[in-house]
Amino acid sequence: MLFNSFEFLVFFPIVFIIYWLLNNDLQKQNILLLVSSYIFYAWWDWRFLSLIIVSSFIDYTAGSKIFHAKTERQSKNWLLISLIANLGLLGFFKYYNFFADSFSTMMTGFGWQPNDLTLNIILPVGISFYTFQTLSYTIDIYRKQFEPTKNMVSFFTYIAFFPQLVAGPIERASNLLPQIEKKRILKKEWFNEGLIQILVGLFRKIVIADTIGAYVDTVYSDVGIYNSTTIVVATFLYAFQIYFDFAGYSDIAIGTAKLMGFKFNQNFNLPYFSISLTEFWRKWHMSLSFWLRDYLYISLGGNRKGIKITYRNLMLTMLLGGLWHGSSWNFVIWGGIHGLILSIEKFIKTYQTSYLWKKFSFLGYPITFGVVLFSWIFFRAQDLNSAMLAIKKICQFNFSAPFIGDINLIITSALVLSLGIGFDFFLFRKKIDLENLAARFSILKVAVLASVIIVLINLFYSTSNNFIYFQF
Amino acid sequence: MNPPILKHIIKSFLLILLISFVSDKLVFFLFNKISDQVYTGQSIGKVNHYLEIKDSLDFIVFGSSRANHNINPIKISENSFNMGMDGRKLAYSATLIKLLPDKKKQTVLLHIDPEYAFDTDYIGDDITALSPKYNRNTTIKNEIDKLGQNNILQRFYWSIGYNNAVLGIVKNYLQPNYDYKTYSGYDPIYVSDNQREIFENILNKGEKSKDCESQYTLNTIYNSYLDEIKIFCKTRNKTLILFTSPRLIDGCKDDNLKLKQILKDKNLEYYDFTDFLKENKNLDNWKDRGHLSDKGAELFTEEIKKLLK
Repeated sequence: MLFNSFEFLVFFPIVFIIYWLLNNDLQKQNILLLVSSYIFYAWWDWRFLSLIIVSSFIDYTAGSKIFHAKTERQSKNWLLISLIANLGLLGFFKYYNFFADSFSTMMTGFGWQPNDLTLNIILPVGISFYTFQTLSYTIDIYRKQFEPTKNMVSFFTYIAFFPQLVAGPIERASNLLPQIEKKRILKKEWFNEGLIQILVGLFRKIVIADTIGAYVDTVYSDVGIYNSTTIVVATFLYAFQIYFDFAGYSDIAIGTAKLMGFKFNQNFNLPYFSISLTEFWRKWHMSLSFWLRDYLYISLGGNRKGIKITYRNLMLTMLLGGLWHGSSWNFVIWGGIHGLILSIEKFIKTYQTSYLWKKFSFLGYPITFGVVLFSWIFFRAQDLNSAMLAIKKICQFNFSAPFIGDINLIITSALVLSLGIGFDFFLFRKKIDLENLAARFSILKVAVLASVIIVLINLFYSTSNNFIYFQF
Repeated sequence: MNPPILKHIIKSFLLILLISFVSDKLVFFLFNKISDQVYTGQSIGKVNHYLEIKDSLDFIVFGSSRANHNINPIKISENSFNMGMDGRKLAYSATLIKLLPDKKKQTVLLHIDPEYAFDTDYIGDDITALSPKYNRNTTIKNEIDKLGQNNILQRFYWSIGYNNAVLGIVKNYLQPNYDYKTYSGYDPIYVSDNQREIFENILNKGEKSKDCESQYTLNTIYNSYLDEIKIFCKTRNKTLILFTSPRLIDGCKDDNLKLKQILKDKNLEYYDFTDFLKENKNLDNWKDRGHLSDKGAELFTEEIKKLLK
């Protein structure tokens, strides 16, 4: 079920009303959340519910066993079981074909023609997200940072909770499970915040991202036929398409959870207003970047083992972070670019002392955006060949008039994008988080703002597409 | 949930419904007022223009961009109009045909593409381009409802009808593209150097071979609309002629032949011009594989004119 679908418009109010009617019985409320989350997921494909249930069961058991293990070895073994089971499922469904195909290509290079090893596998929606979520639970218990829950319903609800099930934010057990296990209350401020964030998220998704996505899709479906200007424009628009698409999804998820009395962590914080790539990653898909930092980068040694190992760890973390997004070399290269620039930034930060460097630090904003923009080419292109072709076409410096296509679409894209960037700029200048924007608004102000957004959505929404991050 | 928060939620919800309902109606009536004065542009102006002159026309062309850019109706009749529009298919055209006057003798030239006629996934969604008229024209409302293309929220929020048409309407209200009184609906394509370059790049990449299907089944919406407009035209003094525009490259002929047979069985007059200009390899006649340039359109119009004589 998509957040921007009519089904969800019916589904959510029903769940919301029953949920708050059951407010005096926590267990019943959690059972409702679990059942409704499974319905939400099954709406896409009920068969893959079994994966979530199996994954939940393994980690519920592993968490308990790790905690109660009498020896370090036992504890480690159960952690390994959790890692192998979760990463095994993820690896099979998401990466089997990628590795099989890469293996075939490599063998062909050596003159051996293996049979087609790929399988017809459907990628279960959200598997990358809930796998990381379940892993954080067992790893935190292993690190003795968290105690396992004894309540199976709570744990299963934590994994399947519908606002964040299919595309995050990747909520840690330490944040979400305690909220699931205690009585929730809905505060006025939360209701205001949640409602406005849902509407802003919808606007970002179905108005901005979907509108500008049409141009991007046209150009990136056949980059070879367009000039340099067109590809630069399409890449620029894609940078905002993916941001508004995913930030919009996160807004709806965070807002929906808030209406149910849950507080998720912030997932995007105006990432394009970043002076460095390091800062960008503190603001972009924060739940993933913090996950990678805490469970991968630090596990590899972080920056505790000398500068060379730090560079290696950064590269490995970003390469694997890239691969997490998709099973293609494009994503690996995308991660590699980010890893490389993060390492360079680390190097500069270590040695920067000059006055000039500090004086011109503001140049970090456009440079960071430029790096991010360049890397998006690999993220968006259909395959490695298309990405290289796009770069080649840009390097031809054929900056004549760009392809326009539907003029109405271009003008609408420019308008809605200006509204989106303008709103973000307002939040940036005022140092306000969207999550808290409407907290102190009066009822009238909330209603007026909500109505304005509704009217704008009605006038400018685009035909719905899947959220980009669903494919990951 | 405690009573104060429940009260807050109910009050907020009702207030949002009330304010959004009122503001929606204000926006709707404002855009009605503005759009009624717009007679240029594809958002609504061309439809308004058509609605204003439809009763006085002798000859009208309907269809997609392959009708709009390819036929200059003035070369055929002075009292004519080309109502072809980019991306429109049969649902849209048939609805506009049904708005023609009852007794006036008129010739309706309707473009039909085999590719879309046999597209089983076609659901008539091109009719949503008429949504601005949803709450204002019964025929249009009925057709949109019949195809299930109405947005259910539009019963409450009427301004949804203006979705994605607003900027075009405002632009044409403030600065009309052309003098509509001298406009025949025909939009010739003057190919720019950039377009020519893109087109040549496409051709140089080579034609992807289009496999013929083993079986062709007429889309049910096409089937019913063809029957409906046939009866409509027959009973209202209209001559209905269907045609298919030229293509530079057409890899499969089976669908053309099948469509020809189906239309013959339905007793509909049909002409397939897919291979018109096939012998003439001059790329100046083309904007792309499916659309003629202004030069190609002039040649094609002459051919249509001969046919109608």
